[in-house]
Amino acid sequence: MKYIPNTDNEKKGMLKEIGVSSFNELIKDIPENIRLKKALSIPGPFDEEEIKEQVHSIAEKNVNFFSFKPLIGAGAYRHYIPEVVKAIVSREEFYTSYTPYQPEISQGNLQSMFELQTHLARLTGMDVVVPSLYDGASAAAEAVLMAVRITHKNRIIVSSLVHPHYREVITTYTKPHDIEIIELPFDKGCTDFSNLKNLLNANTAAVVVQSPNFFGGIENIAVIASEIHDTGALLIHSITESISLGLLTAPADMGVDIVAGESQSFGMDLNFGGPYNGYLATKTRFLRQLPGRIAGETADKNGKRAFVMTMRAREQDIRREKATSNICSNHALNIVAADVYLSLLGKNGLCQVALLNTKAAHYLKRKLAETNNFEVFEYPFFNEFVVKSKIDICEVKNRLSRKSFVPPLRVDKFYKKCEKYLLFTVTEIFKREELDEIAEILGVSR
Amino acid sequence: MKLIYEKSVEGRKGYFLREDPYKEISLKDCIPGYALSRTKKELPEVSEVDVVRHFTALSKLNYGLDDGFYPLGSCTMKYNPKLNEHLALLDNFIYAHPCVDEDFVQGSLQVMYELNQYLSEITGMDQFTLSPAAGAHGELTGVLIMHKYFSDKGEFRHKILIPDSAHGTNPASAAMAGFNVVEVKSNERGGIDLAELHKLMDEDTVGLMLTNPNTVGLFDENIEEIAKVVHSKGGLLYYDGANLNALLGIARPGDAGFDIAHLNLHKTFSTPHGGGGPGAGPVGVKGHLIQYLPTPIVSYNGEKYFFEDVGEKSIGRLRAFWGNFSVLLKAYVWVLSIGDEGLKETAETSIINANYVMSKLKKFYKPVYDRFCMHECVLTGREYKEYGVKTLDIAKRLMDYGFHPPTIYFPHFEPYAEETIMIEPTESESKENIDLFIDTMIKIAKEIKTHAEIVKQAPHTTPVSRPDEVRAARNPILILKEINEDR
Repeated sequence: MKYIPNTDNEKKGMLKEIGVSSFNELIKDIPENIRLKKALSIPGPFDEEEIKEQVHSIAEKNVNFFSFKPLIGAGAYRHYIPEVVKAIVSREEFYTSYTPYQPEISQGNLQSMFELQTHLARLTGMDVVVPSLYDGASAAAEAVLMAVRITHKNRIIVSSLVHPHYREVITTYTKPHDIEIIELPFDKGCTDFSNLKNLLNANTAAVVVQSPNFFGGIENIAVIASEIHDTGALLIHSITESISLGLLTAPADMGVDIVAGESQSFGMDLNFGGPYNGYLATKTRFLRQLPGRIAGETADKNGKRAFVMTMRAREQDIRREKATSNICSNHALNIVAADVYLSLLGKNGLCQVALLNTKAAHYLKRKLAETNNFEVFEYPFFNEFVVKSKIDICEVKNRLSRKSFVPPLRVDKFYKKCEKYLLFTVTEIFKREELDEIAEILGVSR
Repeated sequence: MKLIYEKSVEGRKGYFLREDPYKEISLKDCIPGYALSRTKKELPEVSEVDVVRHFTALSKLNYGLDDGFYPLGSCTMKYNPKLNEHLALLDNFIYAHPCVDEDFVQGSLQVMYELNQYLSEITGMDQFTLSPAAGAHGELTGVLIMHKYFSDKGEFRHKILIPDSAHGTNPASAAMAGFNVVEVKSNERGGIDLAELHKLMDEDTVGLMLTNPNTVGLFDENIEEIAKVVHSKGGLLYYDGANLNALLGIARPGDAGFDIAHLNLHKTFSTPHGGGGPGAGPVGVKGHLIQYLPTPIVSYNGEKYFFEDVGEKSIGRLRAFWGNFSVLLKAYVWVLSIGDEGLKETAETSIINANYVMSKLKKFYKPVYDRFCMHECVLTGREYKEYGVKTLDIAKRLMDYGFHPPTIYFPHFEPYAEETIMIEPTESESKENIDLFIDTMIKIAKEIKTHAEIVKQAPHTTPVSRPDEVRAARNPILILKEINEDR
């Protein structure tokens, strides 16, 4: 078989040296009753060329996504990924290695973890960072569980403009535990915090706010921080679009206690939803409640700088049922991707990309407002915004698809009452002329 | 090595972006003052060449599977085919947005639908969810299904049975579903102690999580009896698929009485480990549990693939989107590449390789259980303690000879498994590589008796040697605070 080096003859020789005359003697422990007595009904084996052809033809059943630029974001963003990122993550030393349990031969991974921890600490203003969880949604759920452990309280107040999928994941993770979840309503593009004071009580563990939120809106987080802290609760800041950190105030400067982010925008393909990469960032005093792997700097026996996985007493392989989480494999290769992306863009580049996103999105919104087909709303946003369509939603989809644009998200998929609302996402991949074209296509009255 | 920050030069750029085409728009009109950062965030300033050199140098400090033998027990570090990597990077896949209408992504959905069918056929389960991101995420899915299943029946079972040989993720996952973990002891043959299982399995218990072959590399010969005991009290039997490699084409968890099974595509199905992820941990269930799977699953009506909501009994959503698609695709390609015959040969070869290692090394490193093993063998370094050499030292010494060390100190349970060395050669390794490893292990055994210091001080040839982990934990330095010019 492909990928097995040993020949039948070699295997025979090995069986002989083991001291058995047939392979079956080695598997006597498997009861006859449960042995598979038929061939598995799966296609193959195919040769390499056959498979390539098959998989290419399957891929062609998707639309030609490279030229279909998405006006849809909603937690997954198409940004330009420099070739350097792809070249580095496709080095076998990174993608074929295991978890860095042996630091002597894993300094590449460990240092990259440490570097991304530093990048994210600088972007969020936080002290400590877990550089990889599965995604932003599971990071948000882990942050909630962490807040419950820290505060020993069990009420969680969640903004209804936290990504609906993230809210569902929080519900999935908290369901077996005695945790009460209350949602805050929204008003236009931002969360309505007017009732927050009444909902905060002595039993509140955390308030979860996403910013930029699901509608792209930038929440005024700083104004709610002190009333949250006054009751002893924590403020969790969920981020789906981490490019925004290139421009927006660091969460730590707004009184945030835990940042639960998604770093897909830092060099990861859309890939139909994964793998992406979640992260947590928080204050030093909560370090011991963090889930997942963290790298730390130390010295080796000769005094040379070295990195290791540290604070390991939180983890499942050591603490078993008393661990802070069950997470073992994370999305480590994407740590390297994010580290390379942020290093390459650097201080100026990230800021520039964030700026271009902001301006491009605002430009399209203005252009759409100039048509008679959309009602727009006034709220501060980053690179996503909601409009109400006066033309049929399917018509919007058809017009855009015909011109090779992936249409914006239908908001009523998630918010039933928001019929005819569309969530547009505009990143730096759109040229000004393309945005003009989009406005023109959508501006035509029928 | 220097951090990327320590290579930063003010004003240097690694990224060129076209000039702002929206000069007429002022940032202040877009974003309110309170939300704008007053200063630029302090990321490094380096050139593209700096970045490429830096990360190429970093990569060379890593040991990958393509560099050599990687016999990490329980991790199934098999070869990651280049074809799979290539196909996972096709434009139509990588640029596919997860929230587009289904008619845009019929190809991606077809891959998911067919992979689901293949996994069901290989394991004897009825339906999979491809959503879990990793093995432990799959376990969480499984225990949440157990939780939901019983609360649905109005039963409030609070205990779960887990063998002492289980991976740490099992009890940690069970705790996330709110269960109290009850440990089941291993017997003198390396399997579950049946008498104890009879005693512990009751109507307050949701069931048993079992890795089979287990972490000492043995297939539990009493599996039928185990399933009977668990089911007789209304419990569910959970299959931890970490070691499925040994069973491919030989036996199926679904035929052995398991109700729920998670797989590790990054172990058994050849997808790379990526330095600790991303993998994928699909979970398969028997018919009566399909209604509890996370939502949604991919269905096909003969014309069109589509997402189907699992319904109100679903445990809900596990992650933001559908699954680690590129990992799923690699596993899909692997199955097609080798077919039924190849799967069976994979299991057979992995079992022969592990037994060959054990038979050659058992004189030097006493096995935990001296019986034929499945895909991995568990030896011990106990007898070298008298020379002042720990199992850790043996592992470190292996690096000097160009090998990645096996898993050590796991599993650990008394009185059988202590100072363990868990070796999983997988099917990918040739006889001469395995022989070289065996010879090296024997050589180290001899070194211990004649030059113990060499082993105790190992490794001698790696970029760093024995980083001080105690210091790292006592005085945590978790981010770069200030740039040290001396580095």
